[in-house]
Amino acid sequence: MNVWPLKFREMSDGSVLFSDDAGGFFKSSHSFLDRYAADSLTPVDGTFLREGNHGFDREFDLPWTSFAYRWARRQARPTRMNYVILVPTLRCNLTCGYCQVSRAPENASGFDWSAETLAGVLSFLGGLEGPDIKIEFQGGEPLLRVDLLEAVQDFCRGKFSRPQFVVCTNLQVLDERAWAFLDADDTFISTSLDGDRATHERQRTHGSEVTDAFFRNLEAAVSRYPEGKISALPTVDVASPPDFDALLDNYERYGIRSVYLRPINHQGFARKVRQGDNVLARWNRLHSEFINLLIARNHRTGRFMEEYYFSQCLKRVLRFDADNHVDIRNPNFFASDYVVIDHDGRFYPTDEARMLSRIGRIDLSIGDVGTGIDREKVEVLNSGAFNHFDPDCIHCAYQPFCGTDVIDDVSRYGRIDARRTDTWFCGRQMSLFDKVFEVLYRKDEAARASLAAWLGLVGWDDSMAPTHP
Amino acid sequence: MIPLRIKVEANADQPFVVRLRSFEGEAWEQRTEKLNPFDAALERVGPEGADYVGEGGAIRILGIDPSKVDGDVLLVNPRRGTADRLIRRSSQHNTFLVTERCDQVCLMCSQPPKKHHVDLFPYFETAALLAPEGATIGISGGEPTLFKAQLFEFLGRVLDARPDLSFHVLTNGQHLDLDDWDAMSSIDRGRLVWGIPVYSRDPAVHDEIVGKAGAHEQLLESLALMCRLGAQVELRTVLMRPNADGLPQLARFIASTLPFIRTWAIMQMENIGFGRMNWKTLFYDSSEGFDVVGRSIDLVRSRGIDAWLYNFPLCTVPEPYRHLAPATISDWKRAYREECDGCSLKARCGGFFEWHPANHGYGNLGAIQ
Repeated sequence: MNVWPLKFREMSDGSVLFSDDAGGFFKSSHSFLDRYAADSLTPVDGTFLREGNHGFDREFDLPWTSFAYRWARRQARPTRMNYVILVPTLRCNLTCGYCQVSRAPENASGFDWSAETLAGVLSFLGGLEGPDIKIEFQGGEPLLRVDLLEAVQDFCRGKFSRPQFVVCTNLQVLDERAWAFLDADDTFISTSLDGDRATHERQRTHGSEVTDAFFRNLEAAVSRYPEGKISALPTVDVASPPDFDALLDNYERYGIRSVYLRPINHQGFARKVRQGDNVLARWNRLHSEFINLLIARNHRTGRFMEEYYFSQCLKRVLRFDADNHVDIRNPNFFASDYVVIDHDGRFYPTDEARMLSRIGRIDLSIGDVGTGIDREKVEVLNSGAFNHFDPDCIHCAYQPFCGTDVIDDVSRYGRIDARRTDTWFCGRQMSLFDKVFEVLYRKDEAARASLAAWLGLVGWDDSMAPTHP
Repeated sequence: MIPLRIKVEANADQPFVVRLRSFEGEAWEQRTEKLNPFDAALERVGPEGADYVGEGGAIRILGIDPSKVDGDVLLVNPRRGTADRLIRRSSQHNTFLVTERCDQVCLMCSQPPKKHHVDLFPYFETAALLAPEGATIGISGGEPTLFKAQLFEFLGRVLDARPDLSFHVLTNGQHLDLDDWDAMSSIDRGRLVWGIPVYSRDPAVHDEIVGKAGAHEQLLESLALMCRLGAQVELRTVLMRPNADGLPQLARFIASTLPFIRTWAIMQMENIGFGRMNWKTLFYDSSEGFDVVGRSIDLVRSRGIDAWLYNFPLCTVPEPYRHLAPATISDWKRAYREECDGCSLKARCGGFFEWHPANHGYGNLGAIQ
């Protein structure tokens, strides 16, 4: 049998995790590593590797073909543009301390789509193939311009048979027209809820009346709409994180069971926020503690909540088709299935690229609605947007599960060829996958119950994560 | 039980295919417009039967209400005075039995093989072209790929002529090889699912169940070919005593080595044919020993591979797994028992095979409130 190359990483309990390029993995020992390295595998090793499909006898035999299939399926190959993030206005009625995107004051002028820009956006959307399309309205606060949202919605409903709209709103001010817009069954709400009331007020609303307005609107929305219509995410300041128990209680109270814990982003004006030293290590610890807390809480209450990105990474490890989240896509080619259109009609490959350009560091725009997507510039970005040949990634046991983030690298280091292991992206992903494998190999009822729930299974048992002595 | 063969009278020498049309309440003009050369339209219903007339002549149907056979496609055998309902318009479970020959002798075979073979492909092709819009037609046997040249031609021609149709072919995967590459790749793979049984990861157990040495090895070769062709495979495992304990091992093998399948179906046994003969030694009571089934299905699903329970009465399945047990027993084979009276799940339950024995073998069974 020819054994496919194995990569390995020591786990926190001293055992060694092995993985192959197609995403096959198992937990074993240093002595197995020695046998593997010295080419002195035992017949028992051979049987184990064969059962896990880590080797083959000849080209095109079943194990070879299956391995090739799994490898191929793990590669991201989106082919159709079907997700467009729109910023109809940069104006906002809040001044959050960590504003990720930069904003303009509510009464400022020159920060909304012009009539030409709207026409250009609709013309771009008109050139896309259906039948489905997802439109995400970002801002600023998009509900300040319900008229523009309605124009896009009307157009998409005429053009596509299965349109879906997400309004990323702070839920501060909702008039009748805004409620009517949100009422539609094809329209969803995404909002920010920074945990408990005190944290939310400190980071976002800055005054009890404004905070009251937000919670009043959130409660009204929750009672008005079915579960699943509203999602929310908390932005976390590592220097002063919210009480996680209170955060989970609050989310559950509003019927939101999936929490996407996000650190304050390095892009946009949030770069100026001082979070102290060792932000990465402190964030990773915080996130890891949050997962432990979730598992214990789920076990205690029997009502299962999840951390969104952790669940994505977990599925990415186990399955070959789970790369919806861009941070775990490989390759992560830009402007292939989604793109951002800013308030001035410019295209950006991601929302982060838009923020970074906004502060004048670098122009990452890739054309505008008048001239179309600048494919040459996209190709330049794409030339670094995969981890297959990165000199650090090729040795990493998590490479088959991970992705790349060219924009974050540019933002933090001004270049895309920084030593991978020194980057924020790598540091965060390593910690996340360490956590995923720690939980996969935990042997307690609480962890098993959460794993099953997060994966949509009835039960999880120890044999589902392979181990070899 | 729904009859698959009905009595007819027809004045002809050779068998022929005909589609029955009732056109009740429709005007004569519309009717002539819709008639196909293979259609026969209902003329008169009387105590002696229902009379149909078409381009091919007259035919009388006996013993069944014309409304139940409207749109059905029949293969009429005038000498015997019978007709096989090749396609029942109202059913999702139409299957062409292309041969009764087989090179395996599975312990639980519901349709034991016979030596005699009659080539009916020309009739099947005519019938398939008359199928209702969007139908999925099953191909079964015996072993259909014993006649693979005719089979591939049949599938290719029908799928080309009818872009709305799909096929589900049951095969033991013993007769496909590289030489079939061109024929198979020219067939629209998006509308063709291959149902292929695998009973165990252990070649000895599998070969013993199918009664053929080397069958497991040949099967794996065929599956590799299927993967390279991008063919859609529904892997089928009948659950029995000889392979129940090995089910989790088979699940691990599927997750690691057969990830390209479209579906894994774990199936309960059917008490007919050899299955009836060997029932006592083979039937595995999954209502008592569901653990191996549950663990196996969870493992495969954890890898993002679809897995389902076929032919399991819902009351024999633990509640959290019931959503994975669709009503798969074909309408014409399906029956409910006294125990089913008043069951709240009856409407979405596939029930039992008509011929399931009175002492059913399930330790846990009964109406769910």
